[in-house]
Amino acid sequence: MKKLALIAAAAVLPLLAAGCGEKPTVTVYKQGQYQGKPDKQPWDNDRFKGNKAEWEKAVNARALGQNEYVRIGG
Amino acid sequence: MLEHRDMRAVVRLFLVAVLALFAQFTWAQDAGSQKEQVQRQQTQPLNNAPVWRDVRGGENPYQTTQARGIETNVLVQTEGEIWRQIRNGPVTVYGGWLITIVAVLIALYYGLKGPIKLHAQPTGRVIERFTPWERIIHWATAISFVILAVSGIVILFGRYVLLPVFGYTLFSWLAVISKNLHNFVGPVFAVCTVLMFVTFVKNNIWRAHDWIWVKRLGGMFGKREHVPSGKFNAGEKMWFWFGVTLLGIIVSITGFILDFPNFAQGRVAMQQANVIHAVAAILFMAAFLGHLYMGTVGVEGAYESMRNGTVDETWAREHHEYWYKQVTGGRAQPAGATPSAAPASPMREGWKT
Amino acid sequence: MARMKFLCDAERCIECNGCVTACKNENEVPWGVNRRRVVTMNDGLPGEKSLSVACMHCSDAPCMAVCPVDCFYKTSEGVVLHDKDLCIGCGYCFYACPFGAPQFPQDGAFGLRGKMDKCTFCAGGPEPDFSQAEFKKYGRNRLAEGKLPACAEQCSTKALLGGDADVVADIYRQRVLTRGKGSEIWGWGTAYGRPDKPAAKPGAKS
Repeated sequence: MKKLALIAAAAVLPLLAAGCGEKPTVTVYKQGQYQGKPDKQPWDNDRFKGNKAEWEKAVNARALGQNEYVRIGG
Repeated sequence: MLEHRDMRAVVRLFLVAVLALFAQFTWAQDAGSQKEQVQRQQTQPLNNAPVWRDVRGGENPYQTTQARGIETNVLVQTEGEIWRQIRNGPVTVYGGWLITIVAVLIALYYGLKGPIKLHAQPTGRVIERFTPWERIIHWATAISFVILAVSGIVILFGRYVLLPVFGYTLFSWLAVISKNLHNFVGPVFAVCTVLMFVTFVKNNIWRAHDWIWVKRLGGMFGKREHVPSGKFNAGEKMWFWFGVTLLGIIVSITGFILDFPNFAQGRVAMQQANVIHAVAAILFMAAFLGHLYMGTVGVEGAYESMRNGTVDETWAREHHEYWYKQVTGGRAQPAGATPSAAPASPMREGWKT
Repeated sequence: MARMKFLCDAERCIECNGCVTACKNENEVPWGVNRRRVVTMNDGLPGEKSLSVACMHCSDAPCMAVCPVDCFYKTSEGVVLHDKDLCIGCGYCFYACPFGAPQFPQDGAFGLRGKMDKCTFCAGGPEPDFSQAEFKKYGRNRLAEGKLPACAEQCSTKALLGGDADVVADIYRQRVLTRGKGSEIWGWGTAYGRPDKPAAKPGAKS
């Protein structure tokens, strides 16, 4: 019983110690780099068929559409 | 050198936290800035500086929103970043080290000195040490404490310790269970703490002879000579006052603030409650490890005293001599057992003070 | 490579709450959840200004840092998303967020807040794109359709701009030069840090 408890304690201690290291939780965005859990990229679907350039073109066209100086010819 | 820098970082964070506290009071002065803004709109129509200064405060009555909820009219709250740095920094790092080091020290002590055993033969006669009510309260508090400690550790350290082992999905399940256990068992623990205090306070009042125990460190080191004490020795009394009472009240109050966000307390209150809760809980757990050790493997017969409520007369005499004398009314020593020190010593009569 | 950001122009926002409505309609968010809200400063006084605020998709996102189950992730476009299957509803992201973006569907007695919900930059979540599960949990995935967030695209005065930071900043720069005032880009200092701020905006406020 005592031995079991000692072994259990010995197994738990390194785990506890792992909690003491300060992991970098600062998640600084790295330009164009994917961080974290897997998700499909927005161009990986039927519409863009993995063509990233085409997706970027579509999105940028949309973004530029927000500039009313261009739209009204100002 | 590195330590020095760490200390400075802690001090700086503390100062920032204090400043954040004061910031709440200074917001009240922002009301003057509307007047300033009105004036400035006439003299300098393009200068929006007062508007942008107000963005961070929520106290401005003219800062409104149609979204319902708590502090929805605050555009930027900077205290969150301070809370993040304190929680993810010193609280997690030093807290983790504290618990680990205390656990290692206790394991070392056990390995080097072993448990404290009875010196004389047990008499076979038993004395009641804890009534059924005392035992029920003790174990209700103890079980709820252990549930809260384990689930709290999962929430604070699990991301660094368990997540890499379990993976996202499994750890998320564990965290959901931990969070809900923590939130529902917490109020039970708070009630138990109050009952615990009421039940045990009469035997935990500090006596003059307790200082002798403190001076000799309870006889735990060196030759391990016996230090007589009342029903509870000074170590148990310190655990009662510092642990159960002080830390118990702190974690209960801050826990209630965190557990019931439906009373519209702001984010700053939650952040402060969270830091105080975490720090107090870590100290509580570190102290608890000592209590756990002494109550189980550290002292022969200690666990049985709370499990069954009774102790052997020899155990009572060797660990709590004044209490033993009180209970037995100075009954004659059992044959074969030798008194553990000279009867003429003033310490012997300490139980009368 | 695009870096998605929101930009709200306080000189133009007229507090119509169109963005709030568009967001609710587009994503069919639960009752009581406001992914986006409009805050008015000096309401009814001279110099009244309004701003639309939602998750700003921070570079160093505090929500990601404090999440006990690490349920957040950041796409290559800099959009901060989260996995509702992992979320335990602890509320820590709400404490840490400078903008008050994380929302919870329940009132939270005994800490029962439900799964956190926040602006996804109309980029859905980890479920397959355009799936029913993704829509139910996170709303529409307009980004995968080659579109930008509904709130920004429908803004009647174009106060709220969304999209690649460079494009959006260019539009804004042209606007500031034309009107000659109001160069403050609100929230960018807090969300993206000082170095990421465009150099051409000397008067920019956090």
